Amino acid sequence: MRTGMMRVTAFRSHRNLAAKRPLRNRIYLPLLVAAVFLYSGASAPAAGQQGQHLARHFAVNARPVVVIHNVANGRIEVKSWKNAEVDVLASQISNKIGFDMEQAGDRIDVTATVLNNSAQPQEMEANLQLTVPEETELQLKTETGLIYVEQVMGDMTLESVAGDVHLKEVSGYIIVRTTEGSLVCTQCAGKLDFKSISGGTQVLQPALTNVSLFTTSGNILFDGDFVRTGLYTMKSGKGTVEVRFSGNDSFDLKAQTAMGTVDNRAAAFLKPDSHGVKHMASKFTHGLFGTVGQGLAKVELSSYSGTIRILKRD
Amino acid sequence: MQCRDVELVVEQEGLAPLPEAAQAHMATCRHCRDFMADLATIVSVAGELPAEVHPPARVWISLRAQLELEGIIKTPELPAGSERSSWWLGFNDLFRSRALATLIVGLLIVAAGGLELRQPPDAGVHGEVSQIVAVPAWQIPFAKTAKVLNEQEIDLRNMQLAGASNSRVDDAFRHNLEQVDDFITDCEHRVSVAPQDELAREYLSNAYQQKAELLSAMMDREGSLH
Repeated sequence: MRTGMMRVTAFRSHRNLAAKRPLRNRIYLPLLVAAVFLYSGASAPAAGQQGQHLARHFAVNARPVVVIHNVANGRIEVKSWKNAEVDVLASQISNKIGFDMEQAGDRIDVTATVLNNSAQPQEMEANLQLTVPEETELQLKTETGLIYVEQVMGDMTLESVAGDVHLKEVSGYIIVRTTEGSLVCTQCAGKLDFKSISGGTQVLQPALTNVSLFTTSGNILFDGDFVRTGLYTMKSGKGTVEVRFSGNDSFDLKAQTAMGTVDNRAAAFLKPDSHGVKHMASKFTHGLFGTVGQGLAKVELSSYSGTIRILKRD
Repeated sequence: MQCRDVELVVEQEGLAPLPEAAQAHMATCRHCRDFMADLATIVSVAGELPAEVHPPARVWISLRAQLELEGIIKTPELPAGSERSSWWLGFNDLFRSRALATLIVGLLIVAAGGLELRQPPDAGVHGEVSQIVAVPAWQIPFAKTAKVLNEQEIDLRNMQLAGASNSRVDDAFRHNLEQVDDFITDCEHRVSVAPQDELAREYLSNAYQQKAELLSAMMDREGSLH
């Protein structure tokens, strides 16, 4: 009741004030307010879509090192070109994220920082798009966004908490660490070292000479050729470890699981180990040992309670 | 004195003023003078190098764990002692420091892992699987490690209560910590009923390492947020 009376009083006083203003103000003011209201309503999504962009170019000599630390929720995309230049394009939804970029010789550092701790998750989105020389070393670290690297040659360390990592046609010593992000590595060459808690990994059509994959609960898929003299270790605590090899492959196989099962769908291609060392599974594990071809590469698969599946590609 | 003697003196006493005999030899030996000049240059240049950057504790932990598992280094057995004495209480206060906590947890994992993985099978359970018997709780591998990690986890929860955060990253950390804890429970159960299952021990060791790294990352994040 009291509130209602206050509102009426306020309305009356407003009418009195308005009556004292010139007629021109009385007409234009509501129109101005309406226009501002409409403009702000219409422009907010547009600003959100377009965001803010920041572009920087860094001239480098051979084989630069690019270090990125993205604390925002966003994607890091790295592609290569023939130029001796690193291009960085940063885009963000809000101004609550800031980018620090610096060059020290052939090292480029890009860091995304949260400028305002009250930023909402949707305001924390910041994407980075890089174009680098073909031979570049990378150290990328992000929390939730995707890391995508294509056609880059050089050692790289890629870290993510919840974001996935996609690599295509990259080579070098590749180290990937995630908490729950997955890794898809397509046509990768060199050495690959992947560790995760719940993230899985797919290694497709690789030319890798040394592979070490470990995940506590994710799945592992290796679909490709084993390079002769290569070493391949794949371990999953609870997930499935699946290997698809080709008829031309040559490797020694050692597969062991403590509580899981070994699903051997390639019995016709597996011969007893021909290198003189007689392998036997521990009495506490289910194991499978054998040789495909001459046994030139070494493949070790293990799981705690998941399934190990071995099959030949069609 | 011969050139070899001068090298020996330098190796043992450094570039400090050399004995008279060595100085007398150098006065007539160009080779030794050049050698000393080279050493002086190296020391001078080394002095201009920037101070070493220390890697994060977890890098050292992982490296040490790997070396330990490969048998390249060996860690002496930790002294036994189950009771909390006054030194432990003081140590516990010190343990509040995150970096130290991570380092200690890692070293405990390494020590426990190294000792447990190398422990020969007990005589009582040679042979048949049917002879497997459950072991007492105090014999469970990594028991000390588990205790330290659990205490660290409680500290972390207290930190989180002080400043609750529900971002996707925090959710991911919490969810994965639960997964690692569940996996540790599974492995511990397996190892307690089959202490000679080396594969289960290896997974348990890895799980503890992952938990230590995860807790370290979570604490770092909490520290940077609040």
